[in-house]
Amino acid sequence: MPGPLTGLKVIEIGEMVSAPYAAKLMADVGAEVIKVEQPEVGDPARRRGPFPRNEPHPEKSGLFLYLNANKLGITLNLASPRGMSLLERLVADADVLIHNFPPFEMDRLGLDFERLRRVNNRLVMTSITPFGMDGPNRNYRATNLVLWSAGGACYLNGAPQRPDLPPLAAFGQQAYYQAGAHAAVATMGAVLGRLAHGEGQHVEVSVQETVASILEMTFAFWPYAGMITTRLGQKPIQPLDVMECRDGYIYVCCVEEHQWQAFVELMGKPEWATEEIFSDRLKRAANWDALRPLLQEWVGQQSVQELYRKALDRKIPFAPVSTMGDLLSAEHLKARGFFVEIHHPEAGTYRYPGAPAKYSRTPWELRLPAPLLGQHNREIYVGRLKLSEAELKELEDAGVV
Amino acid sequence: MGTPPLRGVRVADFSWVWAGPYCTLQLAHLGAEVIRIETSLRPCVTRMLPPWADNQFGLNRSGYFNQYNQGKRSITLNLKHPQGVEVARRLIAKSDVLAHNFVRGVMEKFGLGYEEVRKIKPDIVMVALSGYGMTGPLSPYISYGPAQVPLAGFSALTGYEGGPPMHTAISYADPNAGIHAAFAVLAALYHRRRTGEGQFIDLSLWESATALTAEGLLEYQMSGREPARRGNRDPWMAPHGVFRCKDWPEPVGGGVVDRWVAIAVENDAQWRGLCRAMGRNELADDPRFASFESRKRHEAELDRIISEWTQRFSPQEVTEMLQKEGVPAYTCASNKELAEDPHLNARGYFVELEHPEVGVRMHAGIPWRLSRDTCRVESPAPLLGQHTEEVLTGLLGYSKADVVKLREMGAVQ
Repeated sequence: MPGPLTGLKVIEIGEMVSAPYAAKLMADVGAEVIKVEQPEVGDPARRRGPFPRNEPHPEKSGLFLYLNANKLGITLNLASPRGMSLLERLVADADVLIHNFPPFEMDRLGLDFERLRRVNNRLVMTSITPFGMDGPNRNYRATNLVLWSAGGACYLNGAPQRPDLPPLAAFGQQAYYQAGAHAAVATMGAVLGRLAHGEGQHVEVSVQETVASILEMTFAFWPYAGMITTRLGQKPIQPLDVMECRDGYIYVCCVEEHQWQAFVELMGKPEWATEEIFSDRLKRAANWDALRPLLQEWVGQQSVQELYRKALDRKIPFAPVSTMGDLLSAEHLKARGFFVEIHHPEAGTYRYPGAPAKYSRTPWELRLPAPLLGQHNREIYVGRLKLSEAELKELEDAGVV
Repeated sequence: MGTPPLRGVRVADFSWVWAGPYCTLQLAHLGAEVIRIETSLRPCVTRMLPPWADNQFGLNRSGYFNQYNQGKRSITLNLKHPQGVEVARRLIAKSDVLAHNFVRGVMEKFGLGYEEVRKIKPDIVMVALSGYGMTGPLSPYISYGPAQVPLAGFSALTGYEGGPPMHTAISYADPNAGIHAAFAVLAALYHRRRTGEGQFIDLSLWESATALTAEGLLEYQMSGREPARRGNRDPWMAPHGVFRCKDWPEPVGGGVVDRWVAIAVENDAQWRGLCRAMGRNELADDPRFASFESRKRHEAELDRIISEWTQRFSPQEVTEMLQKEGVPAYTCASNKELAEDPHLNARGYFVELEHPEVGVRMHAGIPWRLSRDTCRVESPAPLLGQHTEEVLTGLLGYSKADVVKLREMGAVQ
């Protein structure tokens, strides 16, 4: 059984992570995604890496290979009038167009929903922009770090005992990943709307707002209690912390009372555990400076895997701090068939994260490795748009494709 | 102006805490009728967590719960009571989607596993979010979102240079699972509208989070080494960091003094812009900083120079000066600065609806807009059990006397 979006036609003009991740989510469950890249240079993710043996090569960037498997790749110069008119021909037959040009780039290219809707009034066009399509900062320049900060996530993380160190961003381009996943949701909303009324629409996603939407309870501390949540302040409840074992790190997580009691028992009921200042999770948080070293002393003598198993058996939700090697060899993930091996003609064979969700009837599926730059030009321009070989050659010579 | 695209879709929402509720929040944003099944015997974890409005505890006063349950309804059922399960079955029969985030076995214990549920409603889309998923050797074990962050590799990759692994502060695996689950539900609904077929979706927090550490997993395979933690630095941009600004004039929001700004320079043109903004044009030609490679080599010195400059201003002032020169920068916003952000406020991002117990409070809104099928947060988060009577007598066809009886026998509570 093919994926749930089989038959859905998506055009992605994506750079780096956000729009490519949104289109990847759709491609992996059956949508046909045609990825449009700039001739010669391609998606900047091709230059980001990581690369085998650390040698940059446009067909060997790990980030690009991960985000663009299952897609068809064509090149097209959108800055040329002929490029834009070819895009219109592609759009005429598409269900979704998803891109992540900032507003000033959209203006420069003349990429505009009203224009494309005249070509295809069933088109859902999704624009992922750093700060949204309007508002005073719409044309502000941004990167992932800037947006993780602008959305309020970065400020929260850091070392409480080291106020001299700055707020710390999470690994990877998480603001863009979240924008991509949220864009995929909003886009599917519009696609479902179209099943009801037959019309397309414009979906706009702000990366800053996406980050501001996932701040757990921390945002509410301001409107509810007039408190600033900071990397230096105490957490609302404890224990929730990374601690060092004798052979690695473990995340100590026991916030329910029964979990705490089970942990105390596991530690051999030390006397200090009966202290009034540790008697509930709010007090354990308020007195974390005193509690943490006591826990660390005991945890420091344990081995990660043994402590993890003992904790799980007592329904205490600890977890190891996984290294990349740990993840790739995890028995549980193997049993679920999570990682998938992709062979790419230039880059070789690596294991990539697989399905983020398992569908019982219409499974996630790997069909194709990421495209080489312009790999499917002939198939799309000649096969689909019915250009002649001579026309394609001429467009190539003119730098349009 | 159309109606929201999921108008007419009903979600029986057995989920709690954050991952599941974040999934159903998306469906509510898109216009679905989301009915949360709660119980006063064991209220949602987030109802029990701070912040409580004006620091007064109350099950309806938590900003955490009220943030992620906007636009939903709440009924209270005791699923350990056979009549409570019977009410749930009637609701499932009238629902299009069922969401839960219990560990494997809990819904089965209630007699509401997928095999049972599909007998009640054959074309239902059922989504289960859990730490380890519904299959595999660890599936019987419970897990919490915060623990899934290190488990998925984020902590090994996140940290100051030379320092220990760190968390991401927020329980990132939760909303991440929620948004991926929402996408899966929508994809399955699309399939259902075309074929009439429902299905079961098994989403593990671990796997959906590991999907976002791919760069680290590939670096490990391609280089043969575990990636090093590198603070806020970037392999292809310099300067790239979060810089200290002038302190608040006096402590605010419970004693906070420090303020920060994020700055990222992608290319030499932006570097020259940064030098102009700092009034240090001579640095643009300084061979230590003229190219990306040289800036990277002298990054510590570079950070010191920038930091000296940023500390003379507020983050908003630095942002304005840098953006004027085309340099990516923004306040590293605290919750207060976010709430007061002129741009977000101009866009109408925040939601301020009257809540019966906590009044008008600011909540994060919908981070996307649909041009035709306008979506908005239609109601504040529900009080515990606020809609029990209405749902049971309206949708489910119980009489008022039935509801009284169900309450007396402890099935509704």
